[in-house]
Amino acid sequence: MYGSTNLSEEDAKRMNTTVEDPEKLEAFESRIARGEKIEPQDWMPVEYRKQLIRMIEQHAHSEIVGALPEGTWITRAPNFRRKLALIAKVQDEIGHGQLLYSAAETLGKTREEMLNDLLSGKSKYSNVFNYPANTWADIAVIGFLVDGAAIVNQVINSKGSYGPYCRALERICYEESFHLKQGHDNVVYLATGTKHQRAILQDAINRWYIPLLHFFGPPDKMSAHSEKLMKWKVKLASNDDMRNQFLDQYVPKIWELDITFPDPNLKKNNDGFWEFSDPDWNEFKRVINGGGPCNAERIAVRKFAEEAGRWVRQALMNPTEKYVAPLA
Amino acid sequence: METLDPRIKRLSLEISTDVEKTNSHLITYEVFHQEKRGKHVMHVGIVHAPNPEMALVMAKEVFGRRGKTTNLWVVKTSDVYTFSLEDEDMFETTPEKHFRDPAYYKVRDRIEKFQNKNRV
Amino acid sequence: MSNALKDLLFKMADDALVIGHRNSEWTGIGPMLEEDLAFSSMAQDKIGHAQALYKILNEVLGEADADTLAFKREEKQFKCCQFVEQPIGEYDFSIVRQFLFDHAELIRYDMLTQSSFQPLAQLAKKVKGEIKYHVMHADSFVKQLGNGTEESKARLQSSLNYAWHLALGIFEKSEFENELISKNIFAGEDELKKRWLEKTTPIIEAANLKVPATDESKIIYGGRKGFHSEYLKPLLDEMCEVVRTDIDAEW
Repeated sequence: MYGSTNLSEEDAKRMNTTVEDPEKLEAFESRIARGEKIEPQDWMPVEYRKQLIRMIEQHAHSEIVGALPEGTWITRAPNFRRKLALIAKVQDEIGHGQLLYSAAETLGKTREEMLNDLLSGKSKYSNVFNYPANTWADIAVIGFLVDGAAIVNQVINSKGSYGPYCRALERICYEESFHLKQGHDNVVYLATGTKHQRAILQDAINRWYIPLLHFFGPPDKMSAHSEKLMKWKVKLASNDDMRNQFLDQYVPKIWELDITFPDPNLKKNNDGFWEFSDPDWNEFKRVINGGGPCNAERIAVRKFAEEAGRWVRQALMNPTEKYVAPLA
Repeated sequence: METLDPRIKRLSLEISTDVEKTNSHLITYEVFHQEKRGKHVMHVGIVHAPNPEMALVMAKEVFGRRGKTTNLWVVKTSDVYTFSLEDEDMFETTPEKHFRDPAYYKVRDRIEKFQNKNRV
Repeated sequence: MSNALKDLLFKMADDALVIGHRNSEWTGIGPMLEEDLAFSSMAQDKIGHAQALYKILNEVLGEADADTLAFKREEKQFKCCQFVEQPIGEYDFSIVRQFLFDHAELIRYDMLTQSSFQPLAQLAKKVKGEIKYHVMHADSFVKQLGNGTEESKARLQSSLNYAWHLALGIFEKSEFENELISKNIFAGEDELKKRWLEKTTPIIEAANLKVPATDESKIIYGGRKGFHSEYLKPLLDEMCEVVRTDIDAEW
């Protein structure tokens, strides 16, 4: 649901010091400049491969971990329509994980290595999934706004330079449009429903507002930049631009339901940009580093899934077959 | 473990940090999808599976769970033989072979010239 | 005739709803991503079958709408067999349950394509393809795991032994059995059970597993008459939790 393009200080430094064959690099960069895609068998800079793996893997982890907060309500969805939609939606997240892990596999890291790195904490996933889904209204808000935020990010990334990632994202964006619609449908039913329904919706919006602002990462002025990632079309838009696009698309759709956001400063200024109270970025860092309300639970549940399924995977294994990376 | 998920609560998980690594992995199958009869069968992605039968069983829900599907094909990734991308230059001049291009054949001018000359 | 029909439709719908609900518990935490997707789709299919059956009850036989029947009935009113109520357990139980249950479903729906009750015959024709896939999926897993590692083989056999007498409870007859047969609505549980044994036995053998011996006295009956295991009530309480917070709301 979200592949962060924010670099660590260390990565940013290495990006600028790794030396590549100038002739190959030139050919690679001019291919991207011409708007052509890079395919798995192409030569590519070491750092390009590394950053893409990190980003696609993080995105894949976000999908399968993102299935957990919503999964919480699968057994409690209140009618057939919602029950089927929720199961199908959570299932899609797993499907998106499958597509994204496959795209990352083409770069030479196996699915198992990626899953191991998720469980050991070596590799991250989106912060937004470390918050709890307290009531049924959280499902509506996640389906509409968290998926809405993810789509902003994914549509932009699907214009990137790496072929397999773009193909996966195109398919994902197509499927996510259903998530968004069913999320909106759910939000509208609650907002136009009983007092109780409106109250749980307002409460959920109040709780998800800050995690949603955090979703796109720290403000541009605070984050490590890499001109190279932009040039290589790994990063395509700034955090602030994506956040602004999200607010522009979704805030009015909540306001029209007479539901509010817990921020008196949230408004569109005369230049067309959204203003809001700066959220606490220390909280963002704290959650990334494991301190969020649900980090431990998310990893524990993924770990359970891996361990409980191990005997199944082992029984399916055929030791005479040799793994090769997927083609495309 | 404290959790809001009734499914997880039933599992009574304990939180621990040690992870037993899984290093083995299933092989992959390339999946091809035919939307309708009469349409091309197109490559759509991969599945992890132990054998072709199970690859098909898996492919159905990974790539055929929405929209129309007529059939799916699976082929073991290692059985697919491809050109090297470095050989892409072999195809480079093909688009220039205009004699294969219908738009290359323009005779209208010649016909009109002939008609004017011969008053047809 | 309508009481007999209702009884048949309720037991089929309740079976499908409860097993679909149970199997959906694996969504997001399955043993591998591909299987997570497959199992989830099948859970959705089952819930869809339940909805379609309740719809017939509503539209043709004058019962309440599907959501009311699923989310607002008492435990006692449910006619599902106790087999489908059991918790998902570990994957070996879930896959063995799917194998045993879906073979029965496939045959049941196949028999119902001939039903004199047209709405049911039409539904049976429509969803047979879905259940065919459920059976294909279960067969390939059972064969692969039965012939897999020592652990997978042992797990499958022990789940099969545990599930066997619960599964035989699927075929519990109701007071309407003879009426259903004589009116050509459904060819009956005995016939279904016979064909089920013929279908499942060769697969169990191909999986190098033993078909458990049947002890008539150990078969778990009761579900079809409203007597349920300790697991159904908590399942329904959970399923209806949101609905009950605001019983008249539209969700």
